[in-house]
Amino acid sequence: MGRITLTGIEKSFGAVHVLKGIDLDITAGELVVFVGPSGCGKSTLLRLIAGLDQPTGGRIEIDGRDVTRVAAADRGLAMVFQSYALYPHMTVRQNMAFGLENAHLPRPEIEARIAEASRMLEIGALLERRPGQLSGGQRQRVAIGRAIVRNPTAFLLDEPLSNLDAELRVSMRAELAALHGRLKTTMIYVTHDQVEAMTLANRIVVLRAGRIEQVDTPLNLYNRPANLFVAGFIGAPSMNLIPATVTGVAADGLACSWLDGGRVSIDAEGGAVLPGASVTLGIRPQHLKLARGHEAAIEVTVTLAEQLGAETVVHAQTKGGQRILAVLPGQPAIARGEEIALAYDAADIHAFDAEGKRLRGN
Amino acid sequence: MSALTKSVGAVLAAPAMWLAALIDKPLRALQNRAGFGGMAAFFLFPNMAIFGVFVLLPLVVNFAYSMTGGSALFLPDRSFVGGEQYARLLTCENYANPRTCTDDLFWVAVHNTALFVVLQVVAMTVVAMVTALILNRDIRARSFWRAVFFFPVLLSPVVVGLIWRWILQREGLLNYFLYQFGIEPTVWLTDRTWAFTAAIGVSIWAHVGFYALILLAGLQAIPRDLYEAAEMDGTRPSRVFWRITLPLLMPNLLVVIVLVLIRAVQIFDEVYVLTGGGPGTATLFVTQYIYEVGFASLLRNPGLASAASILMGAVLVVLTLIQLGVARRGEQKGKRS
Repeated sequence: MGRITLTGIEKSFGAVHVLKGIDLDITAGELVVFVGPSGCGKSTLLRLIAGLDQPTGGRIEIDGRDVTRVAAADRGLAMVFQSYALYPHMTVRQNMAFGLENAHLPRPEIEARIAEASRMLEIGALLERRPGQLSGGQRQRVAIGRAIVRNPTAFLLDEPLSNLDAELRVSMRAELAALHGRLKTTMIYVTHDQVEAMTLANRIVVLRAGRIEQVDTPLNLYNRPANLFVAGFIGAPSMNLIPATVTGVAADGLACSWLDGGRVSIDAEGGAVLPGASVTLGIRPQHLKLARGHEAAIEVTVTLAEQLGAETVVHAQTKGGQRILAVLPGQPAIARGEEIALAYDAADIHAFDAEGKRLRGN
Repeated sequence: MSALTKSVGAVLAAPAMWLAALIDKPLRALQNRAGFGGMAAFFLFPNMAIFGVFVLLPLVVNFAYSMTGGSALFLPDRSFVGGEQYARLLTCENYANPRTCTDDLFWVAVHNTALFVVLQVVAMTVVAMVTALILNRDIRARSFWRAVFFFPVLLSPVVVGLIWRWILQREGLLNYFLYQFGIEPTVWLTDRTWAFTAAIGVSIWAHVGFYALILLAGLQAIPRDLYEAAEMDGTRPSRVFWRITLPLLMPNLLVVIVLVLIRAVQIFDEVYVLTGGGPGTATLFVTQYIYEVGFASLLRNPGLASAASILMGAVLVVLTLIQLGVARRGEQKGKRS
């Protein structure tokens, strides 16, 4: 169990309307990640689910039970905070036992749960230490352990890895994924790190300015972004978004003029647009490669080449001033000021209408 | 930085630069002669001179006075009596009963001060804690209420004493209101118990804002996440207070307790203005005893007053050392967590 349903969730802080009609259905056992830029409302939404804040409107259900006005403690959820929120004056054992003591569980039951969680998270040797004597990664494990011992219906994780260094974040990410695999409990995870989102999530919820932009699996978000915002937000570096004009419409494709009069044909349902309409075409930097012959290509002048070893990030500009970013495999010898041609496959091009919505069919 | 800001800064700094250039040469010459350590002594001298003249010297003179007898004011006119004054103060058949002591008034003052310290420290700490907890909540006009509680701290103790005497005296404001509501007026300041209670209450009213502020700072330093974690854990508010707030507030609380303790031992001014130590000796405290014996009574005895102040100073030194120890422990604890 652990199905969470949000219907028409609204949240305002005074005159500031933070969440605007959020509808979302999270199935039991799913790991859902909320991503979005700062201020998009992802943490607020998590706090509403947790019961730490009350929504201005809408309804929150857990396993079919309306919990909108139910106290946080009675929702059966456990939260892992960004700062870990461990009680600094208590030992790890006392931290983990605290919530169970509140529930008046018998001492042997409390000890058994602590033992099980500490075995699972390999923190058995830390039980008598205080949080101040632990490293960041150890504190993170304890925070997760404190959540686990409560046997919650769902875990709520608010940017739990953001205070860790890059290396530890990678290993903790893998551990969290493994933990979810073992526990099979619903998890809602808030992050602004899209790598965390892509690697951990069963589904990702992309939020912007208090609205859901798209809910889908990580690969669907990457391959079929619903709009320009998602296209630009998911994937690193960001997708190249290039203005274009529709020159011809067919049942299964569009002919467009882009980049200083160049022509490109893409697979997209053309019914929604008319010749002469403005559209935006997007191509991911990873889908561009150095042209070797008479392939379709974009001619650019290199402004910067960042050699990362396994790949090279090329910053370039067309004659018309359109900035283009390409991620080329390996270590090609490219210098600033050099003129190169970046080949593309038309099948990799995404098309968005004037309102920024994806044109169906591509 | 804008050009205007730069030029204004240059104009303001010009006199300081001129002065610095003026004293640069003599200071360099002095440093060459006196060395680095000598310069430190040179800069410390004005402060040490003031401290020496107004604190250290009076302390030594006071000690010298405590070894002399008679009522003459100037030290050369006084006769050396050794530890006689201390013996007079400390000779008691039963310290619990001031009447059995050679200087019974001193021991009445000691008893009163001890009772005042115990009651006032407990009451002040509780009131300061409750005030801080309320002011820490998201109440309407929170800044206004904080100012209201802190305002009496800014008043002179004499003003505090006068205000409350005006309220509590027989024809005072409180009795006037009681009379308006048909309640029999009470002689607040001429009843022993009420006068003592008033002394405690007035000193709490006058100083609680300061101690509440220290506790409020401690409360605000407790991360909100901890309370949210406790909320998720289903913790009752009373358990949140005892298990989370109080332990995390302990460093601030200990500092408050020790500061209140030191101040309570020194209690004098506002109570002296309020009750004059009465009725009888009901609110006579050690500091007032020293003042009365040293300056105000007809049979003044500066030697005895000095000896009493030396004894009181010793108690304060012990309390100050405890305060320093507590503060240091708090700092180390803060560094560890």
